[in-house]
Parts: sequence; C-alpha cells; structure tokens
Amino acid sequence: MSSAGQKMNCNDYQEAIAADPSESFDGGAEHVSSCQPCSSYRDEIRALNDRIAQALMVDTPELKMPELPPIEVDSNVVNLPFGRLTTPTWIGIAASVAIAVVFGARFLGGDVQELSLADELLAHLDYEPWALQVSTQQVSNYSLNDVLSADVADIGGLGLITYATTCVIHGNLVPHIVLQGEKGPITLLLMPEEMVDGLTPVIGDGIEGVIIPVGNGSIAIIGNRDEMLDKYQQQVIDAVKWTI
Amino acid sequence: MNSGNAHSVRTGRFDRLVGVLHKDMYRYAVWLSRDPSIAEEVVQEALLRAWKSLDALREDEAARQWVITIVRRENARYFERKRLETVDIDNLTPAQAGMMVAGDDSELNELREAIYKLEDDYREPLVLQVLMGHSTREIAAVMGIKPGAVLTRLHRARHKLKAVVEEAES
Repeated sequence: MSSAGQKMNCNDYQEAIAADPSESFDGGAEHVSSCQPCSSYRDEIRALNDRIAQALMVDTPELKMPELPPIEVDSNVVNLPFGRLTTPTWIGIAASVAIAVVFGARFLGGDVQELSLADELLAHLDYEPWALQVSTQQVSNYSLNDVLSADVADIGGLGLITYATTCVIHGNLVPHIVLQGEKGPITLLLMPEEMVDGLTPVIGDGIEGVIIPVGNGSIAIIGNRDEMLDKYQQQVIDAVKWTI
Repeated sequence: MNSGNAHSVRTGRFDRLVGVLHKDMYRYAVWLSRDPSIAEEVVQEALLRAWKSLDALREDEAARQWVITIVRRENARYFERKRLETVDIDNLTPAQAGMMVAGDDSELNELREAIYKLEDDYREPLVLQVLMGHSTREIAAVMGIKPGAVLTRLHRARHKLKAVVEEAES
C-alpha cells in the first residue's frame, strides 16, 4: 500500500487495514510489527470485520427452483486461446504489483476515481471471460431479441452471434453481443447513452478495439489484436437505429 | 453423447452449482436490494438466466463470479423495470424490518441495521469483499470503478460502522 520507497505511516496503515483487514498490502506487516497503536487498531478492525461477516449472514429461504425451459445442448464450443490468457505467470504477477503500486499511491490520495469508459470495458471483458469463446452455436433469436430489439439495432447480418446479454456499463444497462470473427470472438457493446468525443481506442492485453461515437451514444468493437475490425465497423454503425 | 444424456449432464451440473451458490446469490441480492421479497424475485430471474447461459460457463471455478454478475444485472433490471428509486429506510416493510432483527444479539442487530443504512456505494463493496471473498480487483471490475476507489469506499464503510458500534457501546 505504501508508495515505492516510502515507509507506511500510522494514518496510511489505518486506512489500509480498514479497507483490507487481511493486510495483503505492501508494508503493512513491517509497520505494525513496530507500532503498538496500529497493532491494536488492526485487532479492532478485524474484530469488527468478524461482526460484519456475522451481520451479513442473513437467513436464506429454501431454494425455489424456477421452471427451467428446455435448452439445446451446445457441444461445439471451445475456449479461445487468447494471448492474454496464455500470458506467462510472471508477467501477470509483475503487472499486478505495478497496478497495486499505482492504485495504492492513488488510494492514499483519497480521491474516488471512476474508470474511463475504455478501462471499464476492458475490466468488464476480464470479468466475463466465458463470453469470449470460439463457438459455432448461434444464440437463439429469443435470446437476441430479449437483449437487443430490432428497433434498436438489426445486427442479424453481421455474422455468427454466439453471446447476447445485458450488462451494466457506467451505470446503464447495455446490450453485450459477441460474434465470431476470423481470428476469434468480437465483442460489441451498444451504448446509446454513452457519448464519446471521438474515436476512442481500447487496448488490452492481446485485444484491441475502438469506441465509435454514434448519435448521442457510442458503440465499442473489440476483438483479437489480429482481427481486421474495420470491416465490421461500418456494418455495425449501419445496423444501429438509435441515430434515426 | 446423445441429447438425453447431454441434457441430464447439464441439469446435474446446474443443480450442483445452484446447490452450492444459491445462498450467496440470495444474500448478495438481499444486500443489494435491501428487500427480501425483491431479492427472491431477483434470484429467480438470475437462476433462469444462469440456466439459459450455463454453456457459457466453461470452468466451474469461475461460477461464483459468474452468478454474482448475473444477480447484479438482474437486480439492475428489476429496479429499472419497476422504476424504483431507492428503498425508503424510514418506512420499512415487515420483511425489511425482519431482515435486520435475527436473534437476541442486539449489538449484531444494530450493526446489521447500520450496514443496511450504508449508501449503496459503500455497502456493495463491503458485501463483495466480506461475504463473497472478492479481491479488490474483482470488486473494481464488478462495480466499474478503480481499485483505489474500492479501497477508499471500503475503509470509509468500516469507519462508519466502527463509529456506530462505538456509539452503541458507550
């Protein structure tokens, strides 16, 4: 939690332990080993945390399983060998440490910062890895229409659509669609309420794309780094009807 | 594998996952919505969504994260559909009031009420960290904020709750 090269002071430690009672942040154990007040404070926070855990464990009702509709079983799905999923472990660890240092330093500043739209999209893709699969199984029209009415966008002609759901991006529910490109899955996020100033690059580990302004909203198209996304961009823009 | 067997395998997998995770789903939903009856509806919808998209979950190890995402989404859909602004914490329904009183431990009940009254921005990361065991980065991804912001909200949430507990003790 301490910035690189700086020892943690009591204020920093007490904020950090209140955020993370497991004390997984850098410099915490070193500080507390020589600071009795912070050691006591840590004990208080951990005791409080135990009580919070107890308080959160509200009684649960018996499981009532809804009636489950029959589903066509998909046997044609394989995981996408994305570069970022095969990144050597040491790079991941190094990246985590770097992120911890950067965000730790910001945390000590105390400001609550929102992610940029591009960062949020990348974080969202990381959080839903199951969406990024190579598949030959088209989602049903029912599922697609449920997520994206043809009045909003008619993307049926874009290609094989293998994932369609609604996600929360910047506080708005938006259609999250995945279609199969030549190099792997391509993610489309249609954000009619999210304005961007101009073409905004989205660059992740092994993936990249762009957020395109469309009317009062925008569309994100993100795919494997080798994918030629240009050919999909105009098709997607043409398919979207919220600009009319 | 014929379609009958495949269906049976799918159903078995779903039942196993739901058996393990449905309590987490409900507790997360109840602390998000702050209403047991809404939470039950949200969980029902989330179970249906999870069933329909089960094939998208390749690794069962990721199932907790997966269902949490679905519950959060269904909760947002519920509130959007119903056009509900917020829960009125000064006029609780019997179900809401019942959620906060469980057992004879008055200090615990007071703490539960204090958590209930926390702003959504503070309550949700706390639930994800303490109840769901999410890391800071996972919470950041769920909530669409930076890890530093997650940590700030968490320490502020605990400071608020600590003040409540200390006031009750004094």
